[in-house]
Amino acid sequence: MEASSPASHLLVNKSRIRLFGLSFDDCIRVFFGGNAIVSIIVLALITYFLFREGAGFFGQNRQNLTVYRQAGLEYIDFIRAQQDDHTALTRYLSDLRLRQFRHYTQEAKLPVADANAKLAVFDDFAGQFGDTVEPIRTLVSDLTEQASAIKEKFTVMEDKKEERRQLMAEGRKGDADRVIITPVNFAEELKPIIGTLPAYKEASAEFSRRIEQVLATAPVLPTPELQVRMDRFKQLTREYLSGFPAVVSHLESWDYAKPVPAVQALTSFIFGREWLTASFWQDWYGVIPLLVGSLMVSAVALLLAVPLGVGAAIYVNQIATPAEQKFIKPGIEFISAIPSVVLGFFGIAVLGQALRALSQASWLSWVPGFPYSERLNILTAGCLLALMAVPTIFTLAEDALNNVPRAFKEASFALGATRLQTVIKIIVPASLSGIISAVLLGLGRVIGETMVVLLCAGNRIAIPDFSAGLAVVTQPVHTMTGIIAQEMGEVVQGSIHYRALFVVGILLFFLSLGINYVAQIVVRRYRISIG
Amino acid sequence: MPATHHVFRAQLTSARRREGFIFFLFGAATYFVLLCGAVVIGTIVVRGAGTVFQARAPFINTTFFTEAPESLHVFQYQGRKMELGDAAFRTFEAAHPDVAKGKSDSYVYSAGGIFPCIVGTVLLVVGSMAIALTLGVCAAIYLNEYARDGTFIRFVRLAILNLAGVPSIVFGLFGFGMFVIFFGWNVSLLAGWFTLAFMVLPVIITASEESLKAVPKGFREGSLALGATKWQTIIKNVLPYALPGILTSSILGIARVAGETAPIMFTAAYVVRDKLPWQVDKFSDFFFQGVMALPYHIYVVSSKIPQNEYTERVQYGTAFVFLLIVALIATASIVLRNRLRNRYKW
Amino acid sequence: MVITAPILMDTLPSAPTIRPATAPAPAATAPAGQAAPAAETLIDIDHVDFFYGQSQALHDVSLQIEDKKVTAFIGPSGCGKSTLLRCLNRMNDLIDGTRVAKGSIKIRGVDIHQADVDVIELRKRVGMVFQKSNPFPKSIYENITFGLRLQGVTNKARLDEVVEKSLRGAALWDEVKDRLNASGLGLSGGQQQRLCIARAIAVEPEVILMDEPCSALDPVATAKVEELIQELRTRFTIVIVTHNMQQAARCSDKTAFFYMGKLIEYADTRNIFTNPANAQTEAYVSGRFG
Repeated sequence: MEASSPASHLLVNKSRIRLFGLSFDDCIRVFFGGNAIVSIIVLALITYFLFREGAGFFGQNRQNLTVYRQAGLEYIDFIRAQQDDHTALTRYLSDLRLRQFRHYTQEAKLPVADANAKLAVFDDFAGQFGDTVEPIRTLVSDLTEQASAIKEKFTVMEDKKEERRQLMAEGRKGDADRVIITPVNFAEELKPIIGTLPAYKEASAEFSRRIEQVLATAPVLPTPELQVRMDRFKQLTREYLSGFPAVVSHLESWDYAKPVPAVQALTSFIFGREWLTASFWQDWYGVIPLLVGSLMVSAVALLLAVPLGVGAAIYVNQIATPAEQKFIKPGIEFISAIPSVVLGFFGIAVLGQALRALSQASWLSWVPGFPYSERLNILTAGCLLALMAVPTIFTLAEDALNNVPRAFKEASFALGATRLQTVIKIIVPASLSGIISAVLLGLGRVIGETMVVLLCAGNRIAIPDFSAGLAVVTQPVHTMTGIIAQEMGEVVQGSIHYRALFVVGILLFFLSLGINYVAQIVVRRYRISIG
Repeated sequence: MPATHHVFRAQLTSARRREGFIFFLFGAATYFVLLCGAVVIGTIVVRGAGTVFQARAPFINTTFFTEAPESLHVFQYQGRKMELGDAAFRTFEAAHPDVAKGKSDSYVYSAGGIFPCIVGTVLLVVGSMAIALTLGVCAAIYLNEYARDGTFIRFVRLAILNLAGVPSIVFGLFGFGMFVIFFGWNVSLLAGWFTLAFMVLPVIITASEESLKAVPKGFREGSLALGATKWQTIIKNVLPYALPGILTSSILGIARVAGETAPIMFTAAYVVRDKLPWQVDKFSDFFFQGVMALPYHIYVVSSKIPQNEYTERVQYGTAFVFLLIVALIATASIVLRNRLRNRYKW
Repeated sequence: MVITAPILMDTLPSAPTIRPATAPAPAATAPAGQAAPAAETLIDIDHVDFFYGQSQALHDVSLQIEDKKVTAFIGPSGCGKSTLLRCLNRMNDLIDGTRVAKGSIKIRGVDIHQADVDVIELRKRVGMVFQKSNPFPKSIYENITFGLRLQGVTNKARLDEVVEKSLRGAALWDEVKDRLNASGLGLSGGQQQRLCIARAIAVEPEVILMDEPCSALDPVATAKVEELIQELRTRFTIVIVTHNMQQAARCSDKTAFFYMGKLIEYADTRNIFTNPANAQTEAYVSGRFG
């Protein structure tokens, strides 16, 4: 057949260009595939570079902690803690004075001068109590100087070592040899410090004796309520005194050569309650204050954003007229387009002041924490972040509500349910997984947000005082994102501080991956089967 | 018998009243959110308008748009209060030697304009979107046109999903670690471009894939059945119809790129730079220079310098201009999307 | 108002006497097909097993499709008729996890699943018209010339000629000749489907596969497409999948009945409808199931 041979020729692929055994179409396919892999590569690169810069932190932190011990700083901090606890007690006393003063001026309606006169006895007592610490204070300040000197010597030695290493690397062996490194003999250097143990015991005994004496002269306070506080103070002081032997035994058993376990470099980061950098004494890289700050701000933001976002989603999806929907949806989408730095600026320029002014309004004084004086705090940042999270939560929750089959709603109505009953008993439960994942993704957005918290959270690196109850939200905090943004520009590359910031970044990275993961699980596992 | 006494007569029961109240709360929540958004935007627009517009012709403060930030000098001269920018102050001083030295207060960044910031932001957006669109559209084509379900594709999708959740500051750290330090690009446009591009990549991929999905299957099958290769089909019969959707959805990506501060803080942004980006010695330097950018400038003027009535003007002005740019981009995307939706119906 | 094919089919049982009356129609309208005694086999389907992932869609199907004839595939939904049709130009390649596990499909003696077969070349020679008309959102002219342009034809005169010829071939020329630059999407459903047919014949394939081409059309448009099929049969080999038995009876020379992925019966259309060899075929064509 004449037709059959051209047909078989045409069907067989011969003429196409091949490259490395791939046809043109295969090459294109590979090219597009390559682009698709980019997202995997980027994720891998993020992980790699965060660890590349951050991993060195743990070694450096261990070194940091080792020096803290070897130079005797740790030894002195035992004593310093004793001093700090005493300071806390005196603060309790000043608080007590304030309460008495208020009692005299507000309830007994005495003039200020009279009130102060009435407090003279108490002031005398408080003053004496404050002075009791003197022997310890002198000792600590002497020791501080000595330990600082040892640490300084060590730092100089490290610098010299580094200098020599660099010279060697440049191949200038002669110069390198000329760098003199004087090794620090910690045992020798520490002798004078440890040698103060008898003096400490003496001072401590003196201290404790004086406290006992002062305590015996404690005045009786005017009201039973205040007296209860005074008794509480006495009890606290006794507990404080009973802790003294423990300090002594700590000091006696302290050994500068005891190695710092490797895991402590990690635990001191994760559980460390202090983030203290560029300090003359000792730097601490504990993430807890930052983590708590981030979580507090996020919690406030979600507390505000979830009801608003989900409520708005239900309203738009179930109640609003089509005309309302037409402007509400773009309106809320538009809010999500407001750049975070603009919101942060708004917080600094307007919202902070406005909220503080509101808190000082007398009719709101029943609200816990009101009035407050810090303009930038958890509340300010939380309000703004809530505004950022609402569009995310709204959009995703609205999608979830939209995915509930009409049949559910119609069936419910047909049974005589009201709209509210239908919404609460049928629609919301059916879309609950979607709503929960919307909230989680909102949390992810909020916890990773930088500019608003950097500008509006107050940037005080401390764990907020939870004993204040709900009023805790009026305290300033610092956050994980904020600290990176603030300090990254100022640190020396490769320093422990620099690496610590990267480790915070790693934590943040995995935290957001975790939140994302949970959101996906929620959606996948609890999705109702539709159709 | 009165008509109102039939069984179906509507009654104001307690359930009905509760329903009304709760629905009112939902509505109140919705409008409260909108109100908050309006207050934020309104404050900035109203107070920023004072800087951006002026009473005299041409009614727009051209200095603010065309000049670099300067220090503002405030001083008394012959009983009048004078406010002059740095350059103007110097000429004034030269012309009037009797100006008492040291009697003037100066406020950084409070005079002049924000031209270099606008330029920097535009450069950052253009470059990073070019990179992100190339990578993102190609990835979306692969995912929608070529990929078959399998472990690999599941991984890709998982990566995209997770990449979307990575905080922007982490992208900043990554960009710093990789481009600025490891590649040695220093703080530069190039480093900023790639950092921003990777950050916005998931948005672009998702948007592009959705647009590609919206192109009916029949277009592909019809084309293939006529003997088109896969590549010809994609180029001639899929991309042209998906492209408008891709571009409009990507505009939201632009808004994000323009608005982010954290990723460029350590990778591309300078607090202040005298030279404009095109004032470079050789061509390649263009890519390796840092730039000023609007969002970073807002951050600097609102938290890094002492606050007073003079800095406030530049703060609100910059925020207003920035918001205006972002709003224009976002509105353009919404309008375009609606128009294209109407035009392409199949 | 659209009367769909199934409804038409539903009329069959209630009026069984129509069937013998319509069934001889192919014989009457296609005497040429009957006169040519030894029709040449164009497509040879040989013991084909086909899988979608784990589920088998075709079981050991063998049949020979003759050149320049109209072959109809009938059977209830999900019987595998469309699957087999899509195998013929390897459109199934586009669906994940599909494979021909056994057997071969040969066109003019060439196994089309062979590694060195260029699927693009195959599809040029085996065109396809889909169930849902799918004109591209381009002008009518561009729709028709799409295939030729792919092959690199740019000569305007040549393209014009092909457009006219194809549109005339698809009986659409008179309706659209004044608006060739209007969008193909502006045509009515029946016109769109004929445009798709014109688009398919413009590349001069040997075979045209039609996958339920009339299922979305109203009866008038269906009649036009059926007329068109009668005209095309002299130039092309046509394989048509249909739900509508009357349609199969009216247009086709040979009919294959599929059930549950198996080829039950394959014979001259007249025989299938008047004197089926198999009881299942009998039951189906008389409208007792399906």
